[in-house]
Amino acid sequence: MKALCWNGVNDLRVERVEDPRILNPHDVIVKVALSSVCGSDLHLLDGYVPTMRPGDIIGHEFLGEIVEKGPDVRYLNRGDRVITVSIIGCGKCWHCENGDSSLCDNSNPKPQYSEAAYGHCTAGIFGYSHAFGGYAGSHAEYIRVPYADFNCFRVPEGVSDEQAVFVSDAAPTGYMAADMAGIRPGDLVAVWGCGGVGQMAIRSAYLMGAERVIAIDRYPDRLQAAQMKAGAEPLDYTRVDVFDALQAMTGGRGPDVCIDAVGMEADGYDTGLEYWYDRTKQAMGLESDRPAVLRQMVECCRKGGTLSIVGVYGGMIDKFPMGAAMNKGLTFRMGQQHGQRYAERLFEHIRKGELDPSYLLTHRLSLEDGPEGYAMFKKKTDHCMRVVFAP
Amino acid sequence: MTSSQMVSRDGRDGGLPVGEAGAAERWAAILGGTALGLAGARRGSWAGAALMALGGGLFLAGAAGVPVARALREGLGEAHLPDGLRSGVAGLLPVAEEPTTTQAVVTIAAPPETIFRFWRNVANLPRLMSHLERVDVLSEKDSRWIARGPGGVELCWTSTLDKVEENALITWHTLEGAELPHRGSFMLAPAPGGRGTEVRLTLVYRPPAGAGGRAVSRLFGSAPEQQSREALRRLKRLIETGELPTIEGQPHGTRGTRGRMQEGME
Repeated sequence: MKALCWNGVNDLRVERVEDPRILNPHDVIVKVALSSVCGSDLHLLDGYVPTMRPGDIIGHEFLGEIVEKGPDVRYLNRGDRVITVSIIGCGKCWHCENGDSSLCDNSNPKPQYSEAAYGHCTAGIFGYSHAFGGYAGSHAEYIRVPYADFNCFRVPEGVSDEQAVFVSDAAPTGYMAADMAGIRPGDLVAVWGCGGVGQMAIRSAYLMGAERVIAIDRYPDRLQAAQMKAGAEPLDYTRVDVFDALQAMTGGRGPDVCIDAVGMEADGYDTGLEYWYDRTKQAMGLESDRPAVLRQMVECCRKGGTLSIVGVYGGMIDKFPMGAAMNKGLTFRMGQQHGQRYAERLFEHIRKGELDPSYLLTHRLSLEDGPEGYAMFKKKTDHCMRVVFAP
Repeated sequence: MTSSQMVSRDGRDGGLPVGEAGAAERWAAILGGTALGLAGARRGSWAGAALMALGGGLFLAGAAGVPVARALREGLGEAHLPDGLRSGVAGLLPVAEEPTTTQAVVTIAAPPETIFRFWRNVANLPRLMSHLERVDVLSEKDSRWIARGPGGVELCWTSTLDKVEENALITWHTLEGAELPHRGSFMLAPAPGGRGTEVRLTLVYRPPAGAGGRAVSRLFGSAPEQQSREALRRLKRLIETGELPTIEGQPHGTRGTRGRMQEGME
C-alpha cells in the first residue's frame, strides 16, 4: 500500500510499504478514508520529538472502514464506519477504567523511553515516535488498530465523514481543554492558538457555559474562523499587547480560564527578546520547548484562575514564572486528550448541530501530495487550517 | 565500585575480545564466572546478575563464547587476587560475601486470586521472561527451569517452593547444585481504593561474578531491576488485557542506515 513516511527533519516521502495485518487478538484493520494532519505532527517534522525513525508512517487522526478483525474483537464488525481515538488505551487498566485513557499503562510497547524521561510510561499514539510506542500512523491506505473495541467508535447516522474525522483528536482535545478547566456560567475564557484544537476549544467553552471567549493568534484567516465559526472575540497579538488587551476586556480581572492550544513551538514573536532566548536555547539543545504561551497565560490569568494546557510539550522549559503562578493561586490542568471519554458526547453535539468541526478541513488532498500538504499546513499558506488526505 | 571502574583501572576498558572460546571455558563462564569479576563484586554492581535469576540471561556470555580464561591469563592474572578468590574458575561457584537483592513492584487491576493463580502455574512464567524456555513441574514443590541463550546452550536448574500462602505469597529457592543459586519471593497485597493488587517480586542472589556477567550486561545494556520490572510489566499486561502490545510485523517505509542502527540499539 501507499504510505506517507517520515525520513528525517522536514523530509516526508510517499512510499510503497506492506499492508498491515492483525498482530494481536484485539486488533482490527481499518481502510482509511480520511486522515488529517495535526499541529503536533509539526513537532515531528521539525525534529523536536526524538525517537522518530526513518521509515515511520505518520498521521494519527483518521476515519475509515473496518475490513478485518482479530478473534477477540467483540463489538465491531467488518464494514463499520469508525473513527479511532489517536491516543491508544487498553481499556482495562485503572486509568482507562477511570476515563483517563491517555494515561494508559498497557498500550505502549516501548515504555522504557518515557519511563526514563518522565518517570512513568505514556500511552501509545499512532504515528508519533517510538517513545509513544512506534505504532504505524494513518497516512496510509490501511492501518492496524489495537484494542479496537475500546479505541474505535462507530460514526452515527447524521454525522458526515468530514465532521467525524476530527473526533479522533482535534475535537476531543479542544473539548477536554474546556472540560478540565471547570468552566462555570459567566466565565471569561481566553484561548491561545486558533488552529484546529483552538477552534474546538472555543466552541466547547461556550457549550460549557462560558460567557465570552477571546481567541489569540496572528493569522487573520484563523482569527476570522474563530470569530465567524466559533463565535470568539479575536485578538491579534502582533497588533496589541496581549496582557493589556485582556485586562481591558475583563475589567482588569484577567480571564478566568486560559487555554494553551499552541504548545512547545510557540511563535511568541511579540515577546521579542524572550522568543530569541528560547529559540536559541532550543536550537542548542539546552531547552526542548518554547514556553512563551505558558508564561503569558500565567501573567494574564485572573487570580485563582485556571490554566488548561493541551498544546503539546515534550521536555524541559526554562524561566517559568513560578512566583506569579504560586502567589496568584493558579490551578494548572493539562494532558493529552482522553478521547474515549468524549467521543460519544461529541457525536451527540455534532448531531444536534451544537458543534461542527468540518470547517477545519480546508484542503482535501491525495496521499501522493503528502509532503506538499504538510508544507502548506506548516507555512499556513492558502488559508490552510487542516489538510486532510483521502488515500 | 562499579564494574566499569574496575575494568578501566585494569586497563581493560575495551572489554574482552569476543571470539571462539573453548567449550570448557564457556561452561566455566556459564556456571558462575571467574575470579576476575569477583574482585570487584559489590551489591548492585553487577548489572547482569538478576538476569540469571530471572531466566538464564546471564548464561549468555558463556553461550556466546566469550573467552574468559584467556583474558584472565593475559590481563589481570590471578596473583593479584585475594587468596580466597583464586580458585574462581576451578571452583565454578565463587561466593561473594553478601548477596544482592533486587526488587520490582507493580500494581495490577485484578484481584489477588487471578494473579496468584497465574504465577502459581509455573508453566506460565516463560511468557514473562524472554530467555526462559520452559518450566517443568516435577512435584508439588519442585520445578525444573530451562533457559536457552543465543548460542543454543541449554541451561537448567531446580527450584523448590518454601512458603505458599494462598493469594498472598510464594517464596522459593534453588536446590543444592544449581548453577546459579538464588532465592525469590512473590508477594501480593491489596492496593487501596480499589486499584487492584500490589505485586512485589524480590530476588536475592549471589553476585554471579566474572567477565561473563559483564559481557552479558553489555549485551543487554540494562540493569537487573529493569529485567524484573519487565517481567512484572508483562504479567500486568497479560492479566489486564490478555495480550502484550506489539508493533512487531507492522509496515514501515525504508529504514535506511540510520533507522536500522536505531532498531539495532533497542
